[in-house]
Amino acid sequence: MLKSIPFLDWFQGLKWGDGLVLLAGIGIVLILFKTLWLTESASKVQIRAGNEIFTTQSLNQQRTLDIPGPLGTTVVIIDHGRARVASDPGPRQYCVKQGWLKQAGEVAMCLPNQVSVELLGNSKPYDTLNY
Amino acid sequence: MLQHLMRYADCISSRVSRHDFLYLFTLDIPVHSARFKRKSTSILLLWLCFVTLILSACGREPLYHSQSYVFGTLVDISIYGEQADRAAKLAGVIQQDFQRLHRKLHAWDEDSDLSRINRAFEEGRRVPVDAELASLILQAQRYSSQSDGLFNPAIGQLIGHWGFQRDMFKPVSIDQEAIRRLVNANPQMTDIQLYETSSGIEIESQNPFVKLDFGGYAKGYALDRAAGYLRSEGVRNALINIGGNVIAIGMRGGRNWRVGIQHPRGSGAIASLELEDGWAIGTSGDYQRYFELDGKRYCHLLDPRTGFPAQHTQAVTVLLPPGDHNGTLSDVASKPIFISDDSHRSEMAKRLGVDHYLIIDANGSITASAAMKQRLKWKSDVEVHTIP
Repeated sequence: MLKSIPFLDWFQGLKWGDGLVLLAGIGIVLILFKTLWLTESASKVQIRAGNEIFTTQSLNQQRTLDIPGPLGTTVVIIDHGRARVASDPGPRQYCVKQGWLKQAGEVAMCLPNQVSVELLGNSKPYDTLNY
Repeated sequence: MLQHLMRYADCISSRVSRHDFLYLFTLDIPVHSARFKRKSTSILLLWLCFVTLILSACGREPLYHSQSYVFGTLVDISIYGEQADRAAKLAGVIQQDFQRLHRKLHAWDEDSDLSRINRAFEEGRRVPVDAELASLILQAQRYSSQSDGLFNPAIGQLIGHWGFQRDMFKPVSIDQEAIRRLVNANPQMTDIQLYETSSGIEIESQNPFVKLDFGGYAKGYALDRAAGYLRSEGVRNALINIGGNVIAIGMRGGRNWRVGIQHPRGSGAIASLELEDGWAIGTSGDYQRYFELDGKRYCHLLDPRTGFPAQHTQAVTVLLPPGDHNGTLSDVASKPIFISDDSHRSEMAKRLGVDHYLIIDANGSITASAAMKQRLKWKSDVEVHTIP
């Protein structure tokens, strides 16, 4: 009966192990799609120095970074899902006073030392910030 | 999720014509004989490769983004749908033009054109002025009279006295007597006279206390210039942010550009809105340049009538429809509305031709004009009062 249906005929040579490989393949593709294409939760921190992107790091770590600028070193702390400017050689210290950044789109700008710290999420709520 | 799938579909349709697209799903693979079995498998593989190739190109948007610091101000330019190297070149021209304006209009660099004119004002001399600066001053005179003198770039001496004309400003001791003297000297834009002579334009001031400071004006002017330049170069989609003032050209792919409005006391945005083609937005905030003395905040937005910083407001945002000078107006118009007291704000907005504005007062209470309220998307639930 099965043999009379040409399309199923195609599966005749397959063994149960092939089925497992197929299932595993589909599973991996789905997982990759979910993590690489739809990463809503994963957040990163992007640090710019001057006109360049100095580094882009995962937010899920504990780390202290020294960012060089024209006035000296700006120190940025990444602490498991949040980041802040710990110290900055600028005169007004606005970016230090800003405290912890937690949500995608939040930015601390140390203008005199030309350093900016921005939290990135996959779905950026806006293209630029009016201030 | 839906948004991603739509972007996905958008991208596929931009790469494959409708005919090809239908063909992809109606491949009539003959599978009834053994000879075709292998062939059908290879066609299937080819099809998969094709789809993979199309989709792999979908991950990246044709969006160029640059951020640069030009003398302490952030210039943030996004250009959509242009080749990256061309976009970089265009952004570079805008940055250079802004640098040129910064040097020319610097209020406390002795070598700037503006300082040269300010010295002549102080000494009562009549000096030549170039056409660009002359037209900037004429335009500022119009805005100043429109705002009943609340937009007053002639109070440079007062701004300097408060210590805001310094790269490194710190709390000053408040000298009531000196402030009163500077207010009573009454420097106004109308004190400035321009003369057309056979050799060019000349300028003088009838009041030696006039000292121009274009801090609340030059960025908006630079914005108009940048937008005009990109349009003249045939760029159809871009978003330009010069020191917080933003203007939009076209769209970003299939949607409008989105702009966040800075929370005056927090990090990140308090609200966002869609900035349509040609619209501009600007904010004046007490968080931009300020110092604290005895627990009180003194911001850079001075009331020319009292000589003191306005302390009843945290931020004023204005949104301007497409127009010849709407970038400039996005910079200028927020100041008089910021400085006006509550009862005069809607009248001031009307005088300046501003329909869309948002006010956050010293207590954090939020008021928006009816037109503005419709445009805003709030990040969290807040109570918004409406001005009809």
